[in-house]
Amino acid sequence: MKLVRCEHYKACTNELSEIRSVVRCACQKMGFVESEINLLTLAIDEACTNIIRYAYCGDKSGRIDLEVYQSETEAIFFLTDYAHCVKQSCIEVKDNKLTEPGGLGLKLIHKAMDSVQLISLSDPVGNKLELKKRLPQG
Amino acid sequence: MSYSQTTHLHYKVLALTGEVDLHNSPQVRKQLLAILKKGSSVLVNFSELSYIDSSGIATLVEAFNYAKNNALTLTIIAATGAPLQVLELTNLNKVFPMVDLLDDIRE
Repeated sequence: MKLVRCEHYKACTNELSEIRSVVRCACQKMGFVESEINLLTLAIDEACTNIIRYAYCGDKSGRIDLEVYQSETEAIFFLTDYAHCVKQSCIEVKDNKLTEPGGLGLKLIHKAMDSVQLISLSDPVGNKLELKKRLPQG
Repeated sequence: MSYSQTTHLHYKVLALTGEVDLHNSPQVRKQLLAILKKGSSVLVNFSELSYIDSSGIATLVEAFNYAKNNALTLTIIAATGAPLQVLELTNLNKVFPMVDLLDDIRE
């Protein structure tokens, strides 16, 4: 698995624009077409938005780590935060969750990605979100 | 993100430029609700908008519902690219009135 990008951000909404820019570049490098780049960028932005709003609850001293890897078949994005642990069920999409806080963002994340997994971290405490998307053919 | 306000026929036009995300969607919300609370229907011009996230979409939904409940309208103009993809993904392209050009709007 090849590392494409590794960046660290403050858990602030004014970092979102830079995060999107980095994700766009990484996706271009991995050969995705424009419409897929739009969706993948949206998914990462939504995931970061949810981390800022609901994991860190607006605490701007928090940190978000973004790592992008490329395997032979997939683009793999990791978003790590150091807030309280979140359960996998919190990131699953149910239709009745759409009107809940973060619900629409979750739906968009799942529509853009092939798989979304949450890994709890114990030392230091936090969460690692793994988002995978199959690479374009050819 | 920046915005400008103009008038077209009896509508207020809110033109959004750049990217709408959680950082600036509260500004969009404030502008939209201010227009609607003054009793004007609104045209939201997306022609220079390159990105909108779920917080921007939620803002549009809130404003659309406010307009509907107060016998006003909210119409989206010239949505293309990433913003149009988001509207289609959320099926809101079937909810919001949408037109391609400002000139398509008649009295």
